[in-house]
This record gives sequence, C-alpha cells and structure tokens, in this order.
Amino acid sequence: MRNSLVSVAEMISKLPDPDENGLLSNIDKEAVENIIAEIQKAGRDGIVGLIDMLVEPGKADDVKPRYALHGLAVYVCKLNDKKHRRAFAEILASQLERDRPKEIKGYLIRQLQVAGPRLRGDKLAPAKAGVAAVLGKFLLDDELCEYAAQALVAIGDGAGQQLRDALPKAKGKCRLTVIQNLGVVRDKKSVNTLKQALGDEDMDIRLAAAWGLANIGDAGSVDLLLKTADIKNPYERIKAAQACLLLAENLLAAGKKKDAMKIYAHLRDTRTDAAEQYLREVAASALAAKEG
Amino acid sequence: MRKCKMDPAVRQANSRVTRRQFLKGSMGTVAALTIVPRHVLGGAGQTPPSETIGGALIGCGGRGPGTFSDLNREHRLNVTMLAQCDVRFRDRADNKTIYTDFRRVLERKDIEVVAIATPPHWHALISIAAMESGKDVLCEKPMTRFIAEGRAVVEAQKRYKRIFQIGTYGRFGASQNRQNIETHKIMESGLLKPCKAVYINRGGFKVKEWSGKVNLRPEPVPANLDWDMYVGPSPMKPYNRHRTGGTHRCYWDYEGGGLADMGQHFFDPVQWIYAKDDTSPVEIEAYAPPAHPEACGMWGWVEMKYADGFTLVLDSGEWGQAYNRQEPRGVSMSDLGPRFGGEESRRKIARVPDPEPLVGFGEAVKTRKQPGGHAEAAHRCATLLHLANIAIRTGRKIRYDPVKEQIIGDEEANRLVNQPMRAPWHL
Repeated sequence: MRNSLVSVAEMISKLPDPDENGLLSNIDKEAVENIIAEIQKAGRDGIVGLIDMLVEPGKADDVKPRYALHGLAVYVCKLNDKKHRRAFAEILASQLERDRPKEIKGYLIRQLQVAGPRLRGDKLAPAKAGVAAVLGKFLLDDELCEYAAQALVAIGDGAGQQLRDALPKAKGKCRLTVIQNLGVVRDKKSVNTLKQALGDEDMDIRLAAAWGLANIGDAGSVDLLLKTADIKNPYERIKAAQACLLLAENLLAAGKKKDAMKIYAHLRDTRTDAAEQYLREVAASALAAKEG
Repeated sequence: MRKCKMDPAVRQANSRVTRRQFLKGSMGTVAALTIVPRHVLGGAGQTPPSETIGGALIGCGGRGPGTFSDLNREHRLNVTMLAQCDVRFRDRADNKTIYTDFRRVLERKDIEVVAIATPPHWHALISIAAMESGKDVLCEKPMTRFIAEGRAVVEAQKRYKRIFQIGTYGRFGASQNRQNIETHKIMESGLLKPCKAVYINRGGFKVKEWSGKVNLRPEPVPANLDWDMYVGPSPMKPYNRHRTGGTHRCYWDYEGGGLADMGQHFFDPVQWIYAKDDTSPVEIEAYAPPAHPEACGMWGWVEMKYADGFTLVLDSGEWGQAYNRQEPRGVSMSDLGPRFGGEESRRKIARVPDPEPLVGFGEAVKTRKQPGGHAEAAHRCATLLHLANIAIRTGRKIRYDPVKEQIIGDEEANRLVNQPMRAPWHL
C-alpha cells in the first residue's frame, strides 16, 4: 500500500503546474494521459490515496489531485470496461461514507456524476445499486442534496427509489430538490405525492409538483393542474399554464386526446385578459388543429 | 504561438457583418414593411408598432446596454426601457424599474420585448420564461450552455409563437453574397452527396484569454450580489470574482470558454451558407489535453463531419499541432459532375429561386415572421459549440444523432448533452 501511495504522489507531482495566472496553459496531452493511466493501474489504494490529498478550498493547494481525480473519472469511462468503471465508482462511494469535509464529499459526488455507472444490463453488477444508495443518503444533507440529486439523475439507475425514500424526511431546499427531481425522472410512483404537493404553502414546491405531474403525463392530474393555472399570482399563473400545456402535449402523445382538449379549452376560455391573448391563441390554435 | 493561415474562401465566409452593416442591409426590407397593429397579430399588450413598445434588459453588465440599444438603433423598434434586472442590483432594487429577479420583470404586462444579456447559463431559462410570459426575445450569444437547453428554447418558441432572435448577425451579410447563395442552394438541394467541402476556422477563439483559473479560492460574496441567483441552475460553488463579470466565460458552469463565446459568431454564417440550420454533425473528434472539471482550458482542434460529408474544423492556433488532416475546400456548380447528375443538376439548381432575404428582429416583431437568427438556427449553431466542447471534455470521438439530439452509444457523454439543474430551475 505504501508503495502505491508513494508512486501516486510522485505521479501527481509530474502533472503541470498552473501558470502565473492560474491557468493550465502549458500542458502536455500525452504526459498527462499517461500519468492518469498509471494512477488507475495503482488500484484502490492509489485512488484512495489520491482522494486523501484533497483539501477544502482555500486551506492548501490540491490543484493536481483534483485534476487527476477528474481525469480518472473521464478515463474510466473511456476504457469501455464496466469492471474498471464500477470499481472506480465504488471506491468514490466508499470514501463518501468516511469522515471528510463536506466540500470534498461534494467533489466526489460530482465525479460520480461523471463516471457513476448505469447498472442496467451489467451482469457483473451487484444486486443492490450501491452507488445510488450511498448518494441517496445525501439527499437529506442541506449542503450536498443538490449535488446528490444531480448525480443520481445523471446516472439514472435507482434515482426514483432514492428520491422517494428521502422525501418524507426532506426539508427546505432538499425537499424542493427531491420533488423537482421526481418530476425530472418521471417517477410515476410519486404521482400522489406530487398531487399533494400542489397544495403546499411554498410556491416553488407547488410549481415543481405541477411541472413534475405534467412531465410524467398523468391524465389524472388534469383538473388539479387547471385549478392551479387559475391562480392570480402572475408568475405562478404563467408557469402553471406552461405545466398545463406540457401536460396536454404529453397526453396527446399518449393518445389521450379528450384530456388534452379539456386543457386547451380551459386555457382558451380563461385567458380573457388582453395580456394573455397570446395564451388564448396558443390554446385555440391547438384545439383547431386537433379538432380539425 | 503558431501562425494562422487563412485561405480566401474561409476569410470571405468568416467576414462577419458588423451591426452597422446589418442595419444597412436590412433597411430596405424594413422600409418596405406594411405595418400591422400588434393587436391584429396577437402581440401581448396590443400596442401598434408605430408606438412605443415596453422593453426590459435582463443582465446589465458587459454587452447588456448595447444589446438593449440595438433594439432601437439596429432593429428599428421604438422600445422604451421600463425595467433593468441584474443580480448585482441587490442594494438598489426597487422592483419598479430596478430588479434582481427576472421573474418579477416577466410578470409585468407592460413589457413586450426583453433583451437578455446575462451569462449564458441563464440564457435558455430566461428566454423560455419570457416566451411563456408572452414576450419577444433578443438573446445574446451563445444561446445556451448545453444542447438540451436549446431544444427547450425551440419548443417554447413554437409553443408560444413568440419571436426569438440570437444576438449575432453574420448570416445577414453572408446571405447577400452571390457565391454564398450559390453554395447554399447546392447544399440545400442535397444533390452533392457525398460532399467534400471543408470549412476551417483558424484562430480567433480566444482560448487562453477565456481559460479558467484552476486554483480559485473562496471569497466573500459582495453585498450587492445575489450569489444564489447568479449561480441559478448551475452547480453551487463558492464565490470567487473570477466566476463573474466577463470571466464567467472561463468556467463550464456558466459558459464554455472562448470556443463557446466566439463560436456562435463564427459559425452562424457558415451554417447558413452550407444549409445546416436544421441538422448537426454526426461525428466529432477533438485534439486536446485532458480537460479540467471546472475551468475551460486549452485545445488544439476539433473536426466535425455532417452526414452528407461536409466537414467543419475549428483550429485554435493556440495549443498543440495545427490541424493538417484536410485542406479547406468550397463548393461550386462545377462540383456537380456526372456522378452528381451533371448538367441536369446544375440546371435544377439554377432554377431554384434565391432565398428570401432574412428577416431582422424588428421586422419579425412587427410582422410575426421568423427572424433570420431564429431559435432552431441558433440552437443548431450552439450545438456545434457544445459538441466540440463535449469531445474536448470526454477526450473521445463522439457520434451524434442530429434527429434525437443524443450522442450515440456514449451514456457518459450524454450527461453533458442534458445537464441536471439546481431546483427550482428546470427545462
């Protein structure tokens, strides 16, 4: 282990230094690529050693290990070898469970966003989606929930389950993040939860829920969304109308013309103010096109 | 730094139209307009075009004031600035004429046109929200920060039938040049397939100038700045002044380096000339060192090939070996030899009428016609920049499906095509 750590430190030292302006302007492609490939060969101990070199911003200089770790994340994707990539992701996930500063955990999560493997179709993958489960734990952390949700959504696998599991305990920013991302991943199992969130006291939650239901294309949400679209608050009214139009388009695509028509008719009939004429015309023209 | 050699064909296509030339070129069209009142045409607010239109500027630094004044000076609209919005106005916002939150601006019924000059990570979301609010949009380049944003802008434009024009005008001049019109017709005909044309843009990308610092340290957020709103949909990072005020260009979170910043200027006319407004390259290969996760950095060249064989090359001239795989090569009628239908094809193209003059933003606002730099064209041009940057960032050759707008067989590269956003922001 000691040898691999020494050699990783040596390799890292050979990476280019920032110039006087802080830029990596003098950079040798082949040399950097070789160093990253060598670090990958150093295996788990080498990569953990690299992660141990990371420090919180402003505390010390960790430019080279940060660059190398990201280089590794990109490199393992390039190898086109699921085993290497999964191993790299599992090392990062394991280090998220150790006691490290939040900023460093955030950096590790962002590298998982780059290289976290999608497990579908991977016969060698363990039965449980370990990386998603580790990321899911951070959905309740005020400083890391956004990064965790972004990584989960980017990876895709298991995101819906982790978001659903986190929601009952999520508060404030994390709750909004979770609700929005349930819509992003079109989690049909969350339809009832999102419907409830339409009545939340926080406008951002209400709008995230409305958009989520529209993105999922839930026909059972038509009346609820139309009610939301009748609200007076100007910005909420604009965004709720957008959710209604998105829902109508998704319903049409799913062959649910009657439900879609109901949305267009409602918007045509309720947007009577001159400033909303454009919306009335959008709805009327959609009705004419579909009825014709 | 090695010398950049530019062949005449490249120089010609690359001679961008200044705003003054754009105005001169489009004035005839403007003068010939029949003015139709906006209430007839369905514009929000129903103000006849001969009267004043309410406008707002969102993003007031850098090009912002110039972008807004272009509404009147270049686009011949009679726009009065009713609101200015900038995340640096925290200490002076009154929510009457000065704002920090663009949503409050878009709620206003008296504003019909918005000029957007924020950093690019906000361009798509504000453009979309503005069109959802019934406003017409003049948006600074580059149009977007990643590919999926552009498609969402196009969809919003189609859904709400608003006017969207990107703030670069190279195609307006390029589309008046006889040789370019001939090339456009040949390429649009689809008769020249495979096409051997190679367009090389050498230099001008400001690669080093818009490279990011890799050793940023957190700094206290200035009292006048709403940092959370500045960051918006991008990943939250500690404040450092270099992430703002023009040098935002140097970071993936907000733009995409000099390539993204200059590329839309360079390729907007080329895309028109080669009739690629509705498609994108299918193969993209970059020569660049491993990229930094946050700071945009050095690259040598990027080669992009369209399905019909047309090749577009970006050669930075600032790092590594010069691009030497192919020489620049244009397109002319003489390319249509026997293999491509010969004389019959040439006659067919000669019979094709010249394209209609491109519609300027001002005319588009008044007539509700699509402007020359419309959302789809701007999105396809921005896609070039994003594909180039994805090839640089992933370090591998990528294959792209221009219909599905997805990278083929490379799930990790696709994570850069559609990037997650911080709530409450989403596409």
